[in-house]
Amino acid sequence: MELTRREALKKFATGTGAAVATAGLTTIALPGSANAEVEFKEAPKNAVSLLYDATRCIGCKSCVAACAEANNLQPDTSLSGGLHQAPADLNAFTKNIIKLYKPADGRGWSYVKQQCMQCVDPTCVAGCSFFALTKRPEDGVVWWNASKCMGCRYCEISCPFHVPKFQWEGFNPKIVKCEMCKERLAVGKQPACTSVCPVQAVVFGTREQNLAEAKRRIAENPDKYYQNKIYGETDGGGTQNLYLSHVPFEKLGLPDLGTESIPSKYMKWQRKLYSFLVVPTVLYVTMVGVIRGNWKEHKHHMEEEQKKTGLRPQL
Amino acid sequence: MTDRWERDVPVYNVPIWTKPFKVLMSLGGIALLLTLYREVVGLGPASGMNDAYAWGIWKTFNVMTLTGLGSGAFAIGISAWLFKQSKLHTVMRIALLTSFLAYLSGLIMIGIDVGRPWNIYWLVTPWNWNPHSPLLEVMFCMPAYAMLPLLLENVPPVLEYFHRNKPGTREFVEKCEKIIIAGYPFIVALAYILPAMHQSSLGALMLLAGDKVNPLWQTPFLPLLYVWAAAYLGVCCVAGTLLFTCLMWKRPYDMDVLVLLNKICAWLVGTWILFRMLDIVISGRLGFAFSADIFAGLFWMEMLFLGVGLYMLIDSAKLRNARLMFHAHVLIGVGGLLYRFNPTTLAFQPKPGAFYFPSAMELLISIGFVSLAIAGFCVAVKLLAILPAPTYTWFQMEAHESKLKALNRDEKVGELVTANNFSD
Repeated sequence: MELTRREALKKFATGTGAAVATAGLTTIALPGSANAEVEFKEAPKNAVSLLYDATRCIGCKSCVAACAEANNLQPDTSLSGGLHQAPADLNAFTKNIIKLYKPADGRGWSYVKQQCMQCVDPTCVAGCSFFALTKRPEDGVVWWNASKCMGCRYCEISCPFHVPKFQWEGFNPKIVKCEMCKERLAVGKQPACTSVCPVQAVVFGTREQNLAEAKRRIAENPDKYYQNKIYGETDGGGTQNLYLSHVPFEKLGLPDLGTESIPSKYMKWQRKLYSFLVVPTVLYVTMVGVIRGNWKEHKHHMEEEQKKTGLRPQL
Repeated sequence: MTDRWERDVPVYNVPIWTKPFKVLMSLGGIALLLTLYREVVGLGPASGMNDAYAWGIWKTFNVMTLTGLGSGAFAIGISAWLFKQSKLHTVMRIALLTSFLAYLSGLIMIGIDVGRPWNIYWLVTPWNWNPHSPLLEVMFCMPAYAMLPLLLENVPPVLEYFHRNKPGTREFVEKCEKIIIAGYPFIVALAYILPAMHQSSLGALMLLAGDKVNPLWQTPFLPLLYVWAAAYLGVCCVAGTLLFTCLMWKRPYDMDVLVLLNKICAWLVGTWILFRMLDIVISGRLGFAFSADIFAGLFWMEMLFLGVGLYMLIDSAKLRNARLMFHAHVLIGVGGLLYRFNPTTLAFQPKPGAFYFPSAMELLISIGFVSLAIAGFCVAVKLLAILPAPTYTWFQMEAHESKLKALNRDEKVGELVTANNFSD
């Protein structure tokens, strides 16, 4: 028994060795493909972007109303007793919302706008089985495709910003999230929210423009902004939509994610193991070899049993 | 005890339509009706799921947790075929059947859980796949595993049934058997690579949830720990089922095989606990295990179940005590299931204020499809040769069957006689 087990382990070891070698070779031979995706990603050149400045926002919510109108969303009146649009959170009727952060002592309060961050390396896209959520290469907007989505809601589980929402009612549910007013962008207009903001608290531009604008504002008022930091520049691998604030970003629901994106941080090994299915294939072939060897012995054993008992052998 | 499991023999002396079976079937029936309701009104009214806890027990318990129990064919098969534990071949059929049923009920639950099931057909178009999605891996490998190797490996007992009871089909059956035997090593190897992939991917699903999963569970080794837990859960499900069925239907048990299963299970659980602790200590997350919150409590609960279960596994193998053995497997089962359930639900904190508790309807559907799987098991072991037994049991069964046939004839004769008497 000892010897045979060792043999099996040996065969396994050779198989795994071969797998590692082949995987190594493919890494060298095909530097531009699967493995490259693990590396740091950059936003597309013409990545569209929103820059939200919490110090400027007056909480008028005209962007919320404009968003609902532009996207044909039924107004969510849950907080106003059915009177007017007053959603409690992003939901199946709300792609954009203004929230108020107010600590108990009332000091250092702030509004915050919440919508899809259009991540540079989106976690929702990384997990989506059939790319029902895709990042458009031209402008980096994350689009949802009804004909590909099977409604598994993995995007809701994985999004660190709690953005994608699901229509819980009805037999034909959809995923609802900000797509930067893609119909408006297509005809050269800017998104509805930026077009109505009376104080330029949220402005539209390319990511480069908005980064430069944010840096300019910080340079003009060096003590105004929290840590003089632009949230989204590198957070979670970078987001296209950027935030400036006078209160800590965590208080506004923008978590501290580090500089690495969630997919590249957690999926490194997973992706290497599955690259080109090399490891699974080698393992499979090795196992077939071992089992075929043991199969003969098993057959022999079955035949002996049949002779002894006179009963049909059982597979 | 000198009994040896040499051959799989149907449970021949018990009726199929028993009271527990009727209860299981009605639970399944209720679930089917409620499923219809869910398909019409949507997920919201039927379940307790919400945008924060977007996955409820249908996915997190029935699929991500319970298919661990369905990994018996994976773990025991590897021991039998790759590590040449030839004693285990007699328990392969029960392992294959429990696995198939666990996976089948899990797959049905995925179908009920997804909101837009009509789009699942993209699975057959590889050019539309996201090759790096752990969910795609699960969605493809799970049905592939259940419908190819598992189903095919469950065919021989069915063929055997026809061969024995329907003499007209014998020629056809023998032809089928030849085909299966020719492809067997390839099917069997597939039955190990596919579960290794998707059971680890079930763990990988939670990797993308990032910091939403409590640090005691969130680790890059989550996939490895998941597939490892599946291995020992599979062994303990098969061993527990064997012990339970032997007790219930008064069948002799083979202590040597059970002790071997105990050893495999103990080895897997022991190394798993060691690895999990090392991972937590080395990555500096041990502090979370001693914080005064519910998560530390859950962590130690897992460790307690698995630790005590491990001790009892070793002890019961030494004492060769069936009762202790059964309890050990139950403890390991609870501990392992808890581990696989925790990161998906109990230790999953999407955001402050979020709350999820399954609705009654959700629970009934979940229970109903598990009940159907158990009912399927009860029917299968009574019709087919699934459960292992000594060879003499097979001859006893044949004697019992011929006696039954004779008895029926006698009864018929008796009835005729009474009828004649009346006419007189």
